Amino acid sequence: MDFFAQNQMYIVLSITLAIWIGVIFYLFKIEKKLNNLEKRN
Amino acid sequence: MRIIKYTTIFLITIQIVLGISFPLVAKPEHFWQFPIVIGLEEKIRNVIFHVPTAWTATIAFTMSLVYGFLYLQKKDFNYELKSIASAELGFLFCILATVTGAIWAKFNWGSFWNWDPRQTSIFILLMIYSAYFVLRSSISEKVKRARISSVYSILAGVTVPFFIFILPRITSGLHPGSKGDTEGAGPIVQFKMAPNMLTLFFIGLIGFTLLYFWIFNLRYRLLVLENKNESEE
Repeated sequence: MDFFAQNQMYIVLSITLAIWIGVIFYLFKIEKKLNNLEKRN
Repeated sequence: MRIIKYTTIFLITIQIVLGISFPLVAKPEHFWQFPIVIGLEEKIRNVIFHVPTAWTATIAFTMSLVYGFLYLQKKDFNYELKSIASAELGFLFCILATVTGAIWAKFNWGSFWNWDPRQTSIFILLMIYSAYFVLRSSISEKVKRARISSVYSILAGVTVPFFIFILPRITSGLHPGSKGDTEGAGPIVQFKMAPNMLTLFFIGLIGFTLLYFWIFNLRYRLLVLENKNESEE
């Protein structure tokens, strides 16, 4: 934690990454549902 | 749809690149310099990324309410699907706002979770919408499910402005804009956004709103396909 407190730019980086990991995780979930749907048809 | 996609990419690229690369200086002289805020320093950049997630969640929940209402009025299943797609995205962005807020809180307020009014209200919102998904998945009959979940989406949507806009402003807390902090300067650190940062902040808000519409469209189209499949079986 000291490292982050001294290098605050990495806090900004981790927040930006958290957002994009979340969005991409959701997109992967949608894709998986689409794949399942395609397999069934 | 194409214009939404490319504008989203353009705006969010600007938001990330400029939000991270503009240097902090004591006395900004150019538009590409941010002022140093004592107590926040580099962390001030977080505001450009953290707030749009909460904003998008609010928009998504409101859209879910509107589509829930339209379903009840017109009895068209597509509206119900739009309502659920929107609620899902709202939930996603609500989680993102909570996570990004918790990371920031660790370094400004001392711990990841402080039960600040805003943290408490977003936690309640997450609970309300979790119940929405549980409720929807527990009913198998299509018409009944659509009706009940639409009614719930309206009830849940009505609480959103209260939890997002009203409660955190009438109680005192750690967030800027709490009770007794009419200028939004913040109780922990004095903070007012510089005009160039405010512009970038609004670019981020518009970018995230468009991102919401983009993903919402994808999710809705998939739900339509799933729904079609379900009725054929």
